[in-house]
Amino acid sequence: MSEILKVRNLSKGNILKKISFEMQEGEMIAIMGPSGSGKSTLLYNVSGMDQADEGEVLLGSTEIVSLSEDEKARLRLSKMGFVFQQMNVLANLNLIDNIVLPAVHANKKQKRELYQRAQALMDDFHIGDLAERRVNEVSGGELQRACICRSMMMKPEIIFADEPTGALNQAAATDVIEAFLKINREGTSVLMVTHDSKVAGMCERILYILDGEIKGELKLGKYTQDDAKEREKRTSRWLNEMGW
Amino acid sequence: MKKRLILNDFKANKLVTISTCIFMAASAMLLGLSILLFGSLSSSIDSLMEEAQTPDFLQMHTGKIDEERIAFFSENRSDVEAMQISRFLNLQNSQLTIGGNSLINNMQDNGLCTQNHSFDFLIDAENNKIKPNPGEVYVPVCYKTEYGLETGDVMQIGTEKLSVAGFLRDSQMNSMMASSKRFLVNEADYERLWPLGSEEYLIEFKLKEGSDINAFATAYEDADLPGNGPTITYSLIKMMNALSDGMMILVILLASAVVLFISILCIRYMILTQLEKDKREIGMLKAVGISRKDIRSLYFSKYLLLSAIGGVVGVTAAAIVAGPLGTQIRELYGDAGNMSLIYALMILGSLAVEGIILLSVYRTLGKMEKMSAVQVLYGHGDFGKKKNLYLPIGIITAAAVFMILVPWNIESTISAPEFVTYMGIGESQIRIDIRQTENVEVSANAVAKEIEQDDQVLDYALMHTGSYKTVLPDGTSYNLMIEKGDHSRFPVRYIEGRYPDNVGEIALSILNSKEMNVNAGDTILVYKDLGDNLAAPVSCKVSGIYSDITNGGKTAKARFDTFDDKAPVMWSIIYLSLKDENHADTWVKDYQAKYSSLNDGIKVAKIADYITGTYGQTIRNIQKAAVMSVISACLILFVVMLLLLRLVIWRERNDSSLKKALGFTSADIKEAYLKKTSKYLLPGIAVGIFAGIVPGQGLAGVLLSSMGAYGFHFIINPIAVFVIAPAVIIVAAALATWVSLKEVGRIYAYECLRAS
Ligand SMILES: Nc1ncnc2c1ncn2[C@@H]1O[C@H](COP(=O)(O)OP(=O)(O)O)[C@@H](O)[C@H]1O
Ligand SMILES: [Mg+2]
Repeated sequence: MSEILKVRNLSKGNILKKISFEMQEGEMIAIMGPSGSGKSTLLYNVSGMDQADEGEVLLGSTEIVSLSEDEKARLRLSKMGFVFQQMNVLANLNLIDNIVLPAVHANKKQKRELYQRAQALMDDFHIGDLAERRVNEVSGGELQRACICRSMMMKPEIIFADEPTGALNQAAATDVIEAFLKINREGTSVLMVTHDSKVAGMCERILYILDGEIKGELKLGKYTQDDAKEREKRTSRWLNEMGW
Repeated sequence: MKKRLILNDFKANKLVTISTCIFMAASAMLLGLSILLFGSLSSSIDSLMEEAQTPDFLQMHTGKIDEERIAFFSENRSDVEAMQISRFLNLQNSQLTIGGNSLINNMQDNGLCTQNHSFDFLIDAENNKIKPNPGEVYVPVCYKTEYGLETGDVMQIGTEKLSVAGFLRDSQMNSMMASSKRFLVNEADYERLWPLGSEEYLIEFKLKEGSDINAFATAYEDADLPGNGPTITYSLIKMMNALSDGMMILVILLASAVVLFISILCIRYMILTQLEKDKREIGMLKAVGISRKDIRSLYFSKYLLLSAIGGVVGVTAAAIVAGPLGTQIRELYGDAGNMSLIYALMILGSLAVEGIILLSVYRTLGKMEKMSAVQVLYGHGDFGKKKNLYLPIGIITAAAVFMILVPWNIESTISAPEFVTYMGIGESQIRIDIRQTENVEVSANAVAKEIEQDDQVLDYALMHTGSYKTVLPDGTSYNLMIEKGDHSRFPVRYIEGRYPDNVGEIALSILNSKEMNVNAGDTILVYKDLGDNLAAPVSCKVSGIYSDITNGGKTAKARFDTFDDKAPVMWSIIYLSLKDENHADTWVKDYQAKYSSLNDGIKVAKIADYITGTYGQTIRNIQKAAVMSVISACLILFVVMLLLLRLVIWRERNDSSLKKALGFTSADIKEAYLKKTSKYLLPGIAVGIFAGIVPGQGLAGVLLSSMGAYGFHFIINPIAVFVIAPAVIIVAAALATWVSLKEVGRIYAYECLRAS
């Protein structure tokens, strides 16, 4: 197994303080920590949306921090996927147009194939019937699954998710987390910020962040349905230790 | 509370506030400027014509004159207040130099006169009647700038010398469109120099107030008094005075209408965008029980304040700009009589402009009232639907192109060689005028013979003009000046029908056609002159109607053989073209030299020089206005696009940020904006070009028909219209787009994620 992501001494203002961690290909990691501890900031800096002050981020063999804005944008387009708590979409496009938006932008010639792929992904996540709906005509869980489809369009190496279930009710959250597990099983790495210990318990590893530093790590191994109860228990015990 | 809210709003929306204010100021300024210039022009002309006591009716006459018969006619008419016969000593331009400048290429009929006794005075800059001393000459003020003259310069007539003692304003002939220019000398000098020129008479009448000038003109003609020359009336003089500067003012007026339209449009869109932005706040205010009226008045008072500032700034700017633009008006026509009235009108006009804008603001604000608090809170409702801000960009681009093209097209039309055909002059390269000689017909025929044998000449046409009597359907007799010759060679512009191609056909100028109430296809009786006071009627079919402003605009055309008679030739014209147009300058010089030695009143000129001589003043003024409208159109487009694109970018900031997060670069987003802008800009340019040509032509046609040029079509300069104008607009638009799109670089990928 090789590393998909390697973060070394990443600093941003006084929010991130020399953060270092690695992520293996195909891994699914949860980041937890209290509000304001710098979890989102970490995602923005690792993915190159924000410009870190110091340190390095290796995506495969590419160092990101030192790239230009445009190079970072291109890398995000081709190798990364994103899912956010607020389910950011363009309000004046329908669901499927939102899903294909970045992919069509990257690859204008294969519009037709891309729409087919989008439809296939939507079918996978049980929102296949909603393709032509406007974004304010679907539920939060459906919209978030559409965002996952959007993030998967370019077959990214890694998906960054920032509290993807944060705005959803229990049932919708379960659908969404199942979607993540499915794409992870199919080989895509997932780095996910979450407040939900149940969700975190389904990940292979949990990093605990406090005041911009990684304060602890819990290794749970690959998720299987059988040990779900056991993992949940371990997770909450560990979180208690961390002062959650 | 209200004050603080407004002040905070200004601070929060600096760009929108400043732009609104600029639009309000620009609208007020341009209309104010038009009113100011127009008011001072017409008031200056009025006061000049009043001080100088311009005649109401004027008959030019070459040849013998029976003063007693004219006096008898005049004394027996109750409508005549005063009559005088003024002498005008026509000089050869080739014999004239002023301040070292030869007048050989001057297109005017220049001549000497003495100060009149009872009216039609030649006056100085302070409106004083000038009394020249022996050895002094007063020069028409229009030559002052044209030749850079100063008091003390020497005017030379052949070998005789006069000292330029000052400049005169001539209420009749100030305009370059009037084809004669009077130089004022002492009586003694006039008599001394008399042998150097040929004398003409201006038979002038001042009528009692309220008299019918047309009735008088008919009576004069019927009385068979001297009439060998054009007739000019007060209104024609006033029109010629007004036109050369009036055209510039009309262009500014047009620009001010366009700017007002753009301002209203922009302010409307700014308000709608602001309402869209303030949707929540408005909902809140409504929810807590503040009445709609109060909310509307809160917004409205902001615009009231802005329009007050804009109005004051605009009026002040107009007063400042009017200074340099009005220089020529003051120089030619003197100071306006009552400036306070004009200023009052200007302020009234600006108030009206602000009123119109505020009315539109009030109506736009009304859109907010239709929505209930709940609708607002839920984000539904009319203005919740986002306004397409590219649409006004397209519309304003079209307006800007229109604003640039109309003056350009007018300018290119007036300066085009064909334009003379609207004025009643054949389109040729060179024109030779034979006037004021002992026997016009003989010398014209001699010149024609010489030209016939010149192998540089490709084609020529000789025209003789004579005076004929005709009888109108109602039995009254009417004087016609008929230009006889081959009118197919260098035709003028026919509004209806065509040139007289057959024996027994006649073409009439539009003014004659209107006055005689005769149309193409009608038949009139014209009496030809068999000599010995015998006349024979010839029945003439009207073959066409053309536009003409030469010789008072009342002319007719026929073939030689229709009037093969003994009528004396008043003047002759030869139109000609050369095999090689490039030789025109030398050809003209050679012939000028040939005829300058003889005192035979032969004037040789290139048509191109004729145009600059006659319309140069007007063209220069329109060019001034054209430059102004290009600058203001570009400025307006720049400001408007900057503003609207900023609004678009601001409105879509969240979406752009999301796109960046998903991997779009700034360049990608800018490209999308650029494409969308072009999608509206380019059709806007196309619409503007179309509007500038087709409705613009109609508009300019109305203006030019007041100048006597009927049936007007634009003669456009395709490079200017299809290349330069779009290029200028695109540059202004590109600059605005480039500046606005810089903002895209300042949108960050994580913005949309942070904000919630
Ligand atoms: N737009 C911003 N500009 C500056 N500081 C911010 C901004 N947004 C959040 N912060 C600060 O950065 C720190 C980390 O925020 P964030 O990464 O969003 O925390 P988390 O996602 O862990 O809740 C917080 O102290 C917060 O106050
Ligand atoms: Mg966060």
